[in-house]
Amino acid sequence: MSWVTIIWSTIASACITLAGIYLLVWCRNRTAWVNLLFSLTAVAAAGFAFSELLMMLAETPGEFGTALRWGQVSIWLWTVSLVGFVWLYLQAGRPWLAWATCGLRTFALLPNFLVGQNLNYREITALRHIPFLGESVAVAEGVPNPWMVLGQLSLVLLVIFVSDAGVTAWRRGDRRKALMVGGSVVLLVLVGLVESMLIFWGKVQAPLTVSPFYLCLVLVMAYELGRDVLRASQLVGELQASEAGLRENEERLSLAVDAANFGIWIRDLARNEIWASDKWRKLFGFAPSERLELDAILQRLHPDDREGFQQTVGAAVGGEGRYGAEFRVMLPNGGIRWISSHGRVEFDVNGQPVRIRGASRDVTADKQAELETLLLRQQVAHVGRVTMMGQLATALAHEINQPLGAILRNAEAAELFMQEASPDLDEIRAIIADIREDDQRAGAVIDRMRGLLKRQNLTTQPIHVDELVGDVRALVRVDAAARHVKLDVDIPGDLPPVRGDRVHLQQVLLNLILNGMDALNESSREGRRVRVTALLDGAQTVEIAVSDTGSGIPTDKLTHIFDPFFTTKPNGMGMGLPISRTIIEAHGGRFWAENNNSGGATFRFTLPIAEEAAAK
Amino acid sequence: MSLTEPTVQIVDDDRPFLVAASRLLRASGFAVKTFSSASDFLAQHDTDAPGCVLADLQMPGMNGLDLQSALARSRNPLPILFLTGHGDIPSTVRAMRGGAVDFLEKRAPKEKLLDAVRRALARDAGEREERARQRELRARFDALSERELEVLSHVVRGRLNKQIASDLGIHERTVKLHRTAITTKLGVSSVAELTRLTLEAGIFEASATTCPKGQ
Repeated sequence: MSWVTIIWSTIASACITLAGIYLLVWCRNRTAWVNLLFSLTAVAAAGFAFSELLMMLAETPGEFGTALRWGQVSIWLWTVSLVGFVWLYLQAGRPWLAWATCGLRTFALLPNFLVGQNLNYREITALRHIPFLGESVAVAEGVPNPWMVLGQLSLVLLVIFVSDAGVTAWRRGDRRKALMVGGSVVLLVLVGLVESMLIFWGKVQAPLTVSPFYLCLVLVMAYELGRDVLRASQLVGELQASEAGLRENEERLSLAVDAANFGIWIRDLARNEIWASDKWRKLFGFAPSERLELDAILQRLHPDDREGFQQTVGAAVGGEGRYGAEFRVMLPNGGIRWISSHGRVEFDVNGQPVRIRGASRDVTADKQAELETLLLRQQVAHVGRVTMMGQLATALAHEINQPLGAILRNAEAAELFMQEASPDLDEIRAIIADIREDDQRAGAVIDRMRGLLKRQNLTTQPIHVDELVGDVRALVRVDAAARHVKLDVDIPGDLPPVRGDRVHLQQVLLNLILNGMDALNESSREGRRVRVTALLDGAQTVEIAVSDTGSGIPTDKLTHIFDPFFTTKPNGMGMGLPISRTIIEAHGGRFWAENNNSGGATFRFTLPIAEEAAAK
Repeated sequence: MSLTEPTVQIVDDDRPFLVAASRLLRASGFAVKTFSSASDFLAQHDTDAPGCVLADLQMPGMNGLDLQSALARSRNPLPILFLTGHGDIPSTVRAMRGGAVDFLEKRAPKEKLLDAVRRALARDAGEREERARQRELRARFDALSERELEVLSHVVRGRLNKQIASDLGIHERTVKLHRTAITTKLGVSSVAELTRLTLEAGIFEASATTCPKGQ
């Protein structure tokens, strides 16, 4: 066995082996065409190596010519599959160059079989034996076939096509692939081209040894493809690892979701389907296997909350993308559950909403606590109000009843004295003097109370009317809801701050709003409204009004409502309005009441605006 | 000194009201005396004078309720009427429990005030009469000797002369003599009347059960 036979057989079998491996890869994954193309390239390289071996070992010019003729078929296969390989592997290249290369090569098969002995020789005249690798191999002598230019041109086109594709891939960033595949194809094809041209045009007397270069090329390509296969298997491993991680995350998430008592749901807007976790179904009172319809879910919502919830979700779907809502759910067993729900909308590339995912939680206990706190705060405020007024009322009643009682008894005595036949006028004069004195005493009591408020209790500061009203509104919200009274507030945003004592003014407003709500006890539920408004009255004063839609104040009582102890309520003390008026007058404001044209009463008071605001 | 005419005694620290109230009551035909504090009133309190007390509930120093209990312990427990500027429930309850005739606001209608005063005076008259009767009865029983009282205690329990004689270890005729003395001194004619009078006087109320049986 000679070295030439060993080497060329080895080259061929190496190529065949690689071809077989990648053919198997392609069989497993039919979409990986690049593997098939590589296999064909490797088979072609093996075939050409075989042809080369036959040429070197040829005994007659005929044998040599036949080997070369069939070698051209290998070259054709090699060229076409290589173009396809580069095209697919680099994802680059100009189609017309590819077609031109393949077309030219295919066309070159015609002269190969029809003109002369093969594409390269019109006629092989003789074989010469020259020493190669320590033995004597055959080289041809004869007339070159001019059609050979076609094949060489197609190889030049191949080089141009691959160079172009390589540059494109390089620019795109696939530098490694461009250099390895593009670079090696260009280099090795050029070397093979130059060698074969020198030999076939008769410039050099040497055996054709192109297949080792082709083997190199096949090895480079196999190496590149192998990297891809390796990376794919790495990816599979990573995918498995990340799948395990994903499952772990899912477990953790569901643990957290369960711990936080979240019920999860997904609503597919396109298919109009709703999926929900068991926890969610429990929260909303649906059976685990029950089919979920949007309408059925909306029906579970408390009627008062339904519209607001739909608006919130509508805004989220309309572009806001997220929403958070709190609402009541009416359970099939008649219970009520407070739910806090948060959702996120997913949009497609066109900005159309695709689905909403969300989590819902039972916040009944939180709501209960919140409500209790509110109620407590409201009760505290009420107790405070009653205590303050109660204490004042008791003190006032005692202080004022003394002189009033004396006046009454004196007047009664005077009447009796007058009925006598000869009235004791001195006595009657004394009585009248005492009555006058007692009246002064009663007046002094009231003055003292006002003085008390003025001197000690007023700590004035600039106050924003909307904040003041907001404070009181928070206090009465629960009460108003329980009594079905709608509380409207209309305060202009540009109203200057007023100067006053926050706590005392809160008392006044609270008193007026609660009075207004009391006045609505007889009204129908729909018409129960208390309205708080404010406006700038001149440059120095703000006027605040509290009006109700009740039955108003009877005209004969309108003049008495500010009298102490005058009350129209069964368990009223008759001190709210006198004290409120005293407070407002202590602030330098006015306080009055009037009946509305449309029914109900309006209480109005003025407050001076804060000096800082007035100076502006 | 003893007033025969029933007098309304007004006690109030608020002088203008004191004067005005006394004017009204005088004009309405009552005898009136005024005091500007509870201690002044108690210092001058006549042990026998009939009438009633009209007192302010809230007074500095000794207040109306203190006055009420001091008066109840005295030998002339006049009925008391309270006046107040503004009454609260606990003091009203206490006053009424303590036996107050009425509890009025200072601005109560005249008729209500005068009615209450009349009711108080009537109650005083009744109580006074009752007290006098009691005193007279007591005086009659005081005339009985110790032995006669002992016999009486057995008689009112319905025991026969023979039994009483055996109980006390005396002769039956002696028992009869004691009984005659008792009926004469007390001016009664029957055992039934004797029993009623004894109960009314209440002389055995404390000792009836401990009355010696085999002495």
